[in-house]
Amino acid sequence: MTEAGPTTRFHADQDRAILRRRAESLAQAGEETIAIETVGLLLFRLGEEWYAVPIERVREIYNEYAVTRVPRVPDFVLGVVNVRGEIVSVTDIATLMRVPSRTEIDLSDERPPAIIVANDTCSSAIVVDEIGDIVDVPRDSIEPPLSTLDKSQVEYIAGSVFIEGRLIGIVNLEKALEPVGENT
Amino acid sequence: MVEFDRSAFISKFQEEATDLLQRLNEGIINLEADPANRPIIDQWLRDAHTLKGSSRMVGLMEISDIAHRMEDIMVKVREGMIPYTADMSDTFFEALDTVVFLTENAGKDAAAEADLEGVTGRLVAMANSDAPVPEPGAAVAAEVAAAEAAAEAAALDEEAEDAEADEHDDEGQDVDDGAPSGPKRAQREETLKSKTQATVRIRTSQVDRLLNLVSEVVISQIKAEQRARDLRSVSGMGADIHNLWGRIKTMLGMLPADEQGAFLDDIRLLDDLFGDQRRALVALAKEYADDMSRTSTVVADLQEHAMELRMLPVSTVFTTFPRAMRDLAKQYKKDVELIIEGGDTELDKKVLEEINDPLIHIMRNAVDHGIEPEADRVAAGKPAKGTIKLVARQEGDHIVIEISDDGAGIDPERVRSAAVRKGYITESEAKSLSDREASYLIFEKGFSTAAIITELSGRGVGMDVVREFVVERLKGSLDVDSVLGQGSTFRLTIPLTLAIIRALLLRVSGQTFALPTSSIEETLRVEPSEVIKVEGREVIRRQMRTIPLVQLRDILGLDPVSAPENKIPIATLGFSGHRLGLIVDEFVGEQQIVIKTLGSHLKRVDNVAGVTILGAGEVVPILNVPDLMANGRQMTGMRSRRAGSTVKEQEGGPRRVLICEDSFTTRELERSIFEAAGYIVETATDGAQGLAKLREGLSPDAVVTDVQMPNMTGFELTRAIKADDMLSSIPVIIVTSLERDEEKAEGINAGADAYITKSVFNQDTLLDTVERLIS
Repeated sequence: MTEAGPTTRFHADQDRAILRRRAESLAQAGEETIAIETVGLLLFRLGEEWYAVPIERVREIYNEYAVTRVPRVPDFVLGVVNVRGEIVSVTDIATLMRVPSRTEIDLSDERPPAIIVANDTCSSAIVVDEIGDIVDVPRDSIEPPLSTLDKSQVEYIAGSVFIEGRLIGIVNLEKALEPVGENT
Repeated sequence: MVEFDRSAFISKFQEEATDLLQRLNEGIINLEADPANRPIIDQWLRDAHTLKGSSRMVGLMEISDIAHRMEDIMVKVREGMIPYTADMSDTFFEALDTVVFLTENAGKDAAAEADLEGVTGRLVAMANSDAPVPEPGAAVAAEVAAAEAAAEAAALDEEAEDAEADEHDDEGQDVDDGAPSGPKRAQREETLKSKTQATVRIRTSQVDRLLNLVSEVVISQIKAEQRARDLRSVSGMGADIHNLWGRIKTMLGMLPADEQGAFLDDIRLLDDLFGDQRRALVALAKEYADDMSRTSTVVADLQEHAMELRMLPVSTVFTTFPRAMRDLAKQYKKDVELIIEGGDTELDKKVLEEINDPLIHIMRNAVDHGIEPEADRVAAGKPAKGTIKLVARQEGDHIVIEISDDGAGIDPERVRSAAVRKGYITESEAKSLSDREASYLIFEKGFSTAAIITELSGRGVGMDVVREFVVERLKGSLDVDSVLGQGSTFRLTIPLTLAIIRALLLRVSGQTFALPTSSIEETLRVEPSEVIKVEGREVIRRQMRTIPLVQLRDILGLDPVSAPENKIPIATLGFSGHRLGLIVDEFVGEQQIVIKTLGSHLKRVDNVAGVTILGAGEVVPILNVPDLMANGRQMTGMRSRRAGSTVKEQEGGPRRVLICEDSFTTRELERSIFEAAGYIVETATDGAQGLAKLREGLSPDAVVTDVQMPNMTGFELTRAIKADDMLSSIPVIIVTSLERDEEKAEGINAGADAYITKSVFNQDTLLDTVERLIS
């Protein structure tokens, strides 16, 4: 039976692993029945207003960067940066969404913080005025975008949520990250 | 039981079969030259056997059957039961082509489209061509069994090769009993070893990601080296402090003893500390510098090897050529031998994928037009069999591939007369061309010297397309050398990789840009007085050519900065027959750059082909030359429109103008002026050709003509137009350098509607005049 030795051990290990996994999934199922489904959001400020992006779309927060301007691109594209060898565009999200009362960004001087966000097809560093907290909000507390927003703005907002008395717009990244110049 | 899902394995099989089929094809080519070569037959049998097994695994029984029958025949050949003949090659090739077809269409019901019965019938007939064998069935079965055993043993050996060397011996013993005698097997193993190399298939995206990271490491290393230098200067500062402190200490020692007492201990302590710090700093700086020099060697190696990851030997493409050449030779009924050299030269995979078609095309051209019919060759004292040589070699950061034939060569006289006949050049231009320049005419668009349309020209592809492909897609060049009666050599020069190019770094409006060197004709610094300004339009004259100038910052929409230096830096571009001079602020220098895309967000940006990261981590946009040419040419047109001449979009569609001009430069200059203003432009190289075009029914809105032209002068042309009832209403504008009043008068007498001398000639007067006459 010496030959069968390792095989039996393997089976025992495998069984233990299966049991452990099963126990874990049972425990999780128990929690889920009482927990409310939540969405993680990273808050950020543009001018006077607060916005958010889903945390699952955030790749990293980027502070020290040197933007290379690219000629003849839409005004909301500030240029490109080198993120560890990968070239990523820099998007002025306030200009893109037409957020009012926003001072012009001077990239040569003090650099505002940027959040590198990504969807399935593309990524960009969005420049914001201030980075806020990460919050978990119940999924059903997210409301449709305000009806008072004008059409050009509403398409960039996926929904809104009230946090501590502030109305926060959740950015529609599918729209905001539409590839530039694909049809030209 | 769940049924074994074969479809998932079909793509794997297809991948494997592609390699196998390639080797089987090659094997037949090699056997043709050397029918008794045992190692080739053995390798061939192993491959056929693997093909048989794998195809059976995925349920492609037709392939398995063909492979089995081919094996049968080859076993008999190996045993000397039947001789290898040229006819066999044809049948084998046909069978292999059928397998290729079946493989490509695996999973689809394509078997019916292939002539399976015919193929198998021919294979069976071939297998039975050894009638005198008494018991064919049994003998073959035994042979097949032996071959299978041998093949399996070899397959195991291959696996063992990948494993540890010491394990190899044990594994080898296990299968030894199935294999033929010992020494023979060892010999075969040796040939196997030299041919197959252990490989891993990796997605190119993974390699690219790795390369990204490696280039980041390189950048970090450059920064670290700078830190090492900084540290050395800090340690130098320490030495200065120490010297200064030494003097202070001496002065303190001269103070009266009672005044020293209070801080005597502190001085001693400080002295020790200074000393320790200095030693530590010096040691640290030295160790750091040593570490740095070690890492920089490693990093340099890392970068080099990482770049090599994308490199493959050109033989991966060349291996298909002997078969292709055999087919071409048959098609054109010529006897040609192909010699390949330098197959181990390595090239970027991306380039390699693109290089096959142009090479095949050049070879086809060589077989069709280069190699003469056998009788002609013998009459010229050449060997009856033609030779085409394909040689690859590396020259610096380029790969040179030469395709030479020992055929008839290009006849410069024939090319000259064809070019004149087709209106590419005038007779006098033809005379001034050297033979070498004349042979380059074969690269002109739509040019072909062949008297009869062959299948080559029938395909609609000429050497011009090949050359354009090489220049645009491969960033390389294609040249030709030819000696009449001795043959031609086409020389393809391409960069080692498409990922790395040479570029000129330049500055505009305070920003750095990279311009691919391959499109730059020359870089100049001209005196402002050399720039000829004509109503907002700037040109320079270079080597008898007029080159329009554009500010690069205008194309890119950048703000102007400070007054230009004394001499104006200009980079002249040449692209698909047009020329443009770009005015920049400053040239920085030329260097190799790695091309990167603009990222996933910016899919396409006008004028920018990508970016590169310079040594210090700076990101620099790479300019897109075709975009610059198009936008630059359009801008000169836009200027004139702003100046008041509105031409386009009038009733009846775009305007049409016929330009008769024998000088190529002037013709093209006028063409660009009219095209930029929205005209459709027709050209003629002399008055006679122009008149012929008019009589053929070309009805332009205006004719612009030179005076001094061969065959028929502008005056004669004008008189002919005005004398023809059908044509007399077309306005004629004479553009000439003759500006004496008598000549002007002769022009007007001839019936010209306007007379513009070249000294006042500029875009706006020309356009305005034509405008006025049309409306």
